Amino acid sequence: MEKPVTRDPGFYVMVAIGLAVMFIAPVMLDLFTIMQITQYVVLSVFALSLGYIWGFGGILSFGQAAFFGLGAYTFAVASINMGSTTIPMVLAFIIPTIFGAALGYFMFYGRLSDVYLGVVTLVVALIFWKLINHTAGPEYAIGEARLGGFNGIPSIPTLHIPGDPGAWLDPGQMFQVFMGFLIVVYVALRFLIASDFGRVSVGIRENETRASLLGYDVRKQKVIVFAIGGGIAGVAGAMWATYQAFIDPNSVSMEMSAKALVWVMAGGVGTLVGPIIGCILLQWLTLQLGTVDVVNSIAVLGAIMMVLVLALPKGIVPTTQSLLLGGYILWKRNHGSAMPGKAVKE
Amino acid sequence: MSEHILSTCGLTMRFGGVTAVDNVDFNLRDGELRCLLGPNGAGKSTFFKCLTGQLTPTEGKVTFSGQDITGALTHDIVKKGVGIKTQVPNVFDGITAYENVRLSARRKHLKPMAKELTMKTLERCGITHLAKREVGLLSHGQRQLVELAMVLAGEPKLILLDEPAAGMTGDERDRLAQLVLESARSAAVVVVEHDMAFIRQIAKFVTVFNRGAIFREAMIDDIMQDREVQEIYLGKQANAA
Ligand SMILES: Nc1ncnc2c1ncn2[C@@H]1O[C@H](COP(=O)(O)OP(=O)(O)OP(=O)(O)O)[C@@H](O)[C@H]1O
Ligand SMILES: [Mg+2]
Repeated sequence: MEKPVTRDPGFYVMVAIGLAVMFIAPVMLDLFTIMQITQYVVLSVFALSLGYIWGFGGILSFGQAAFFGLGAYTFAVASINMGSTTIPMVLAFIIPTIFGAALGYFMFYGRLSDVYLGVVTLVVALIFWKLINHTAGPEYAIGEARLGGFNGIPSIPTLHIPGDPGAWLDPGQMFQVFMGFLIVVYVALRFLIASDFGRVSVGIRENETRASLLGYDVRKQKVIVFAIGGGIAGVAGAMWATYQAFIDPNSVSMEMSAKALVWVMAGGVGTLVGPIIGCILLQWLTLQLGTVDVVNSIAVLGAIMMVLVLALPKGIVPTTQSLLLGGYILWKRNHGSAMPGKAVKE
Repeated sequence: MSEHILSTCGLTMRFGGVTAVDNVDFNLRDGELRCLLGPNGAGKSTFFKCLTGQLTPTEGKVTFSGQDITGALTHDIVKKGVGIKTQVPNVFDGITAYENVRLSARRKHLKPMAKELTMKTLERCGITHLAKREVGLLSHGQRQLVELAMVLAGEPKLILLDEPAAGMTGDERDRLAQLVLESARSAAVVVVEHDMAFIRQIAKFVTVFNRGAIFREAMIDDIMQDREVQEIYLGKQANAA
């Protein structure tokens, strides 16, 4: 963790993989597959939002979908009214960030314990879901955008080139732009986590009492982390809205919040790659299971989750890392050179 | 008034029916080294928690550097210049000793200065060789030293140490005694300890707690001779030592 990001080979590998996928996939794959993996990209951004606040701020939110949905609805309403998507995309970051700051202020300055924090985030998402479900009537409209209740909002504009609302992105371009978003979010988070702000957050995750005994304001720090996570989830929601051209209350549902938790837990709390891998793997699995009609995919997902937690309690990525490190040590030993020592691994 | 860096007036902390700290008037001069003794459950740790805002006292007043800090938030009290090593080590387990100490130094200092201070403090505490080790994997004594280094790197005006020698080897303990004496040249220090060998190395003026209240305040030699103190607390250790 002390190595600067710029000196971590893993960081460059990840970015290179991201860029490679971004540029090669549209050339290699057919349209249908591209549209499929665009989903994974969007949800990966969502997974990162929770992976960040949980893994690097010690904040376990059971209602991360509230921000995802808020971003989605913000984008939908703003883009339908404005006829453009650029500013709505920015709003889909800003409004959930502000909402996250406000909710975080209430929770952290109110000194809620972790359990209540989980409950409050869950309840907020539920309330949000309820509220939106009740907006089916025509009287629930913001400008030209009817909220549509459980029917959702259709005809959400497709992303276009900034400043030129006529220049819609085709699915290949949309995929590339979203990959760009994912890479930017990943890189930004890596730098944020490696900054002194990020290290204090990690300290708080490790031991809140000590952090405050060193003179750091734990509450303030957590509000900021929570708000940033909210903003990222909001952007993911907006990406989801424009990708589907449609949004409904499912985006705020418990299932959505739970999925994010499962991805992060499966991939590995305390890494950024983990949530992405967890998301892609489990979404892919869900999709495969969905084609088999005999079983309820949610139930199977739950079972997989339980197996993962029992077999790989630290998650896929950290377990792989330690296996690789263990293998490396063995290999070194067999080749007669010294062990890499007990230095802390990344 | 102003010669006292720390004073408490009628400080009381109750937990339901238990009075853990009972009407304590405690005064510490700037630059003083004080030992705080007392049997288990005498209220020493609770007293420290009241001083550092980890607990809000039920009654009474705490004054630090002439400012009323009663009920203030922990981080605000720490920023005024209080550093504490808690009885149960509070360290960042998942990260390296270096980063633990650096996070302490970094609060007041810019990056390069914080780095320098971190290296210097690790050196002072004799744990430079542990710098890259994950703190959660260290022995209890080593963790104590890391926590002490974190406290010192914050450059506090008042240092509170709650059983710092626990779990230390003889060598570590001797170094700790040196460190405490050295630190007392630039800060006021209060040490809670049960280890009498250690106390003898550092103690001058001593406060004895019993059942939450101040039982005796005197020089260490007088305390060691004091029958009543022996009865409540020192009895066994004094005979054994
Ligand atoms: N959070 C709490 N709730 C209830 N009672 C408490 C709490 N903290 C401490 N006490 C009680 O207050 C009394 C003083 O405890 P404290 O830990 O301050 O003693 P101590 O002098 O530090 O003892 P030791 O030498 O064993 O560390 C004890 O009777 C303890 O049980
Ligand atoms: Mg104690």
